[in-house]
Amino acid sequence: MVEKNSASPGNPPKRFLRLRQFLGDVPLLAWLFGGLISVLIEQQVGERLANLLGLPKIPVLFGFMLAMKEPLLLPGALAYVLVLYILTIVLIGKITARPFNLMAAKMIQWPIAIPVILHLVVLYAIMHFWADISLYRELTLKLTLIAIMLTLSLNIINGYMGEFSCSHPGFMSLGAYGASAVMVLFFVNDRLFGDAILPEVLGPFLFPLALILGGIVAALGALLIAIPSFKTRGDYLAIISLAFMFIVKSLFENLQFLGGARGLKGQPDLANLPTVFIWLVICVWVINNFVRSTMGKALNAVRDDELAAEAMTVNTRRTKMVAFLFAAFWAGVAGGLFAHTVRFINPNTFGVQRLAEILAMVYFGGLNSVYGSIVGAVSLNLLGEMLRPLALFKWIIIPLLLILIMIYRPTGLVAFKEFDVRKLIQPKRKPEKEV
Amino acid sequence: MRKGFLALVAVLVLGLALAPCGLAAQKTIKIGINAPITGDIPKVGEGSKYAAEMWLEDIKAAGGLDVGGVKYDVEVIIEDNESKPESAAKAATKLITEDEVLAIVGPQSSAQAIPAGEMANNFGTPMISPWSTNPDTTKDRPFVFRGCFLDPFQGPVVANFIKEEFGFTKAAVLYDVASDYPKGLAEVFKEAWEKNNGPGSVVAFESFTTKDADFSSQLTNIINSGAEVLFTPQYYNEVALIVQQAHELGWKNPIVGSDSWGSAETVKLCGEECYGLFFTTHYAAAGATGATKAFIDRYNQKYGYVPDDVGALTWDSLRIVQAAIQGTGGLSGDLKKDREAVKDAMANIKEFDGITGKMTFTPDGDPIKCAVIVRISDKGEFEFYKSVCP
Amino acid sequence: MQLFLQNLINALQWGSFYALIALGYSMVYGILMLFNFAHGDIFMVGAYIGFGVATGLTALAAMGTLALPNWVILVLTILISMFLTSFVGMLVERIGYRPLREAPRASAAITGLMIGIILETGNLAILGAERIRFPSLIKSTTYDLGGVFVTNKKIMIVVVSLVLMLALNEFIRRTRWGMAMRAMAFDYVVIPLMGVPLNTIASLTFALGSGLAAAAGIMFAIAYPVLDPYIGIIYGWKAFVAAILGGRGSVKGACLAGFLLGFIEIFVGAYMPSSVRDLIAYSIILLILVFRPHGFFGEPHSAKLRL
Repeated sequence: MVEKNSASPGNPPKRFLRLRQFLGDVPLLAWLFGGLISVLIEQQVGERLANLLGLPKIPVLFGFMLAMKEPLLLPGALAYVLVLYILTIVLIGKITARPFNLMAAKMIQWPIAIPVILHLVVLYAIMHFWADISLYRELTLKLTLIAIMLTLSLNIINGYMGEFSCSHPGFMSLGAYGASAVMVLFFVNDRLFGDAILPEVLGPFLFPLALILGGIVAALGALLIAIPSFKTRGDYLAIISLAFMFIVKSLFENLQFLGGARGLKGQPDLANLPTVFIWLVICVWVINNFVRSTMGKALNAVRDDELAAEAMTVNTRRTKMVAFLFAAFWAGVAGGLFAHTVRFINPNTFGVQRLAEILAMVYFGGLNSVYGSIVGAVSLNLLGEMLRPLALFKWIIIPLLLILIMIYRPTGLVAFKEFDVRKLIQPKRKPEKEV
Repeated sequence: MRKGFLALVAVLVLGLALAPCGLAAQKTIKIGINAPITGDIPKVGEGSKYAAEMWLEDIKAAGGLDVGGVKYDVEVIIEDNESKPESAAKAATKLITEDEVLAIVGPQSSAQAIPAGEMANNFGTPMISPWSTNPDTTKDRPFVFRGCFLDPFQGPVVANFIKEEFGFTKAAVLYDVASDYPKGLAEVFKEAWEKNNGPGSVVAFESFTTKDADFSSQLTNIINSGAEVLFTPQYYNEVALIVQQAHELGWKNPIVGSDSWGSAETVKLCGEECYGLFFTTHYAAAGATGATKAFIDRYNQKYGYVPDDVGALTWDSLRIVQAAIQGTGGLSGDLKKDREAVKDAMANIKEFDGITGKMTFTPDGDPIKCAVIVRISDKGEFEFYKSVCP
Repeated sequence: MQLFLQNLINALQWGSFYALIALGYSMVYGILMLFNFAHGDIFMVGAYIGFGVATGLTALAAMGTLALPNWVILVLTILISMFLTSFVGMLVERIGYRPLREAPRASAAITGLMIGIILETGNLAILGAERIRFPSLIKSTTYDLGGVFVTNKKIMIVVVSLVLMLALNEFIRRTRWGMAMRAMAFDYVVIPLMGVPLNTIASLTFALGSGLAAAAGIMFAIAYPVLDPYIGIIYGWKAFVAAILGGRGSVKGACLAGFLLGFIEIFVGAYMPSSVRDLIAYSIILLILVFRPHGFFGEPHSAKLRL
């Protein structure tokens, strides 16, 4: 319900063409509105609809989990998804296309912030009501949003800069420990840090600062890698960053005041859905502006040909450094949010397993693309949850899927696509009536 | 086309209006198992799963679970936590909110039990971790219990046992610094040992990192430190490697272990090298009697190996949950109330006679139970040697 | 002194594994410029195949149908497993790397990573969660050389590793195939135009690398006889470090870096608090890279990297 960008380049088959023609004039706001109505309907009558279709309760993740457990429920679950999500969204989107198109046409002339905020508010409302049905949905959603931040920040290094960095779990843990330490020190009566220093009410105000601090700690760590590894071009960043990851993990295992191997628990429960959402929006916004700025273009130039870039007066070393620290900062912030969502961290959480996970999301979604990172993180996270009943075989199916994607779209699903907000929210017209 | 849509919408609205709201209260009790089926320690997950299957079989054979005179069907839902903390939290949340379980058994390792316990406690669902020895798992969480003793008890037991049995005064410790359980126990042991034998009597305190296979540099240091005994609270796969390498480097003194040795795999992986060594554990498989023996024999027959301590502890935890459910004296059908009642009943269990020994619970939800010292016999069986009670 | 010697011997054994695994990694990395993230898992598969072969042969010997002495079984196990595992390697190349030859290198690295996960999970699904004890084919004897303890296994492992490394070096330097491989490492665009079959060379490279991984797996299983489906992961990543540290396409470099990694880990563990071993060991690696950014024997990349 978040993405509707299945439109593939090239020559789509005829069926798709008709579908595109049918839906081509629906602006984003109408889609979002449809989504909002659909989740509101679910909240009101979801339970009844599910019962009517013979399901024990609302299918939590689009019916996958239910159908996997009891194949007999598959038609019911499919019907539920079809009726409640697809049909409702398409219907409402189509019906309201005209007024929203008019609205979008008007809004596009206002300062860009107003329509963007409007879209975001509706988007958040959808998430809010969707996650309201069950706490499991909320937790999954929060971790998915955090995964988007991680994927996006790694995409700066591996996609836009074209290096291969393995240190993201390290940055994440620096951020997670940094933010957790501050919050636990100030607001929690804890075994390690003693009693709370500040009253709990101040927590939400200090939380953003703690996250930023975590991000800065991660960026400082990145500096340690960046200085030696950007002297030359090559694969050395890959192992320097890998070594860095081992070092950070070992460091936290030995820092007794942060819990050592036992981990740090009891972070205050501040990473609620709106907080995570706002941070994600800021992250996407800042990163998107960064990669579309002169700096971002310079970064692409460095990736494609460092010598040529240098010749064109790009300060390659500085460009790479800034991008690397910037990516590390956001990984750190994501780590801090992660720590406050799960409310427990230990050094083992940030090992090679996590690395494989983040790398998979980046390359699945697509290099050099903000869209791609969102698609990659969302689909792999949801898939991981939906295939949960398969237990062992989940870890055969997901890798197989990834291999297939890599073979048929080697740069990922939505690679090299600019994330243009203006284009996204502008009014849509039917493709045939092109002006 | 539009007409079709309208007709569909009309039918739907009608259907919804007529549909009954919510199903009638079901007579099914759901128990969730949160276990590491994949990930680093799949064997632990397997043991938990098998124990749960056996328990369910028993309930089914009895025609359901009798609570306050009403027979309930029981359903066990096994959820994989991939041995990752966040996945364990998700699994717990899913069990609580989606599957609407009455109680959860697991996760096993502390790294997963701590975040999962947080969720369980927040949502007011009783959870019992059979295997997690970290105090944080149950601390300040009324809804979270555990089925095993804690490190602070086991450490002194080992230290005292070595002192009494061998009369040694210099000990060495080898443990995994990156793993929560061995590290905790190693520290507690060190403290207890130095209390008995004076400061500095732990002459070597060496560590390695999870997944290491070579311990030669640490063992060389240990051998050169003049230690008389080596305590290594490691898991069975590492035990096999540590013991073998110690012998290859010329170590001839005893090696003592903790309850993590208590697996049939210890002897299978370690072979003759481990014969004659001692460790503390929850129960001794060889020479067991009564219910313990019945459980072991049945498990062995069904799955082809003697159950680990994880299997036995999961079994006991399930029985504790069962006792607590039955102790409520009847379920109301309101899940929230029932969970509360089960928690209260569990906290009120005065004495529980499990296959891993008799136990009572502290206010924190930790059991008080006896430890058993086991010797690995010359036939490779776990022989009961001695029992130590708090 | 005695302590030092003992640690030296320990480090020699530990370094041999890293060197052997890194060598296989370095083959693929050096010649095809690919990150083979499935290498650690091929190492694991090699050890498991070795387990199967060894168990089978021992059973045959016990039944009397094929009464072989233990050392023959050992040699046969190593050879047969190397042979079988090379096919696994070729299969990995065929599925995960060949279709992606024109793609960014990192994409191929991801398929490798995913194949690795499939190998692990597949193993878990087929053989179950039980850990496996590798049969002890040679009886361990410990020699006491004035307080320094050496086992026959250790000697054998170091010797076999060195023999394999020399053999590989000879192969690459003296045979036509070896020459083709070196040429490919030099330039993978022009050399195929000169009639060197790229696909065959790629298969051969993976086969050789996997064969070495299998040998390493069996040696490992003899020294540390506890196997589980996840043993390969961490060695795969560490060999990755060693392979790049050695320098691109350098057999000597990979061996040296492998041994160096082993030595650093053992000596840091021996002379410093062992709990900070990884911290110090990898900081040393980091420092080495600061001063020798191209590894030991590597040259600055002249060809433009495809990433």
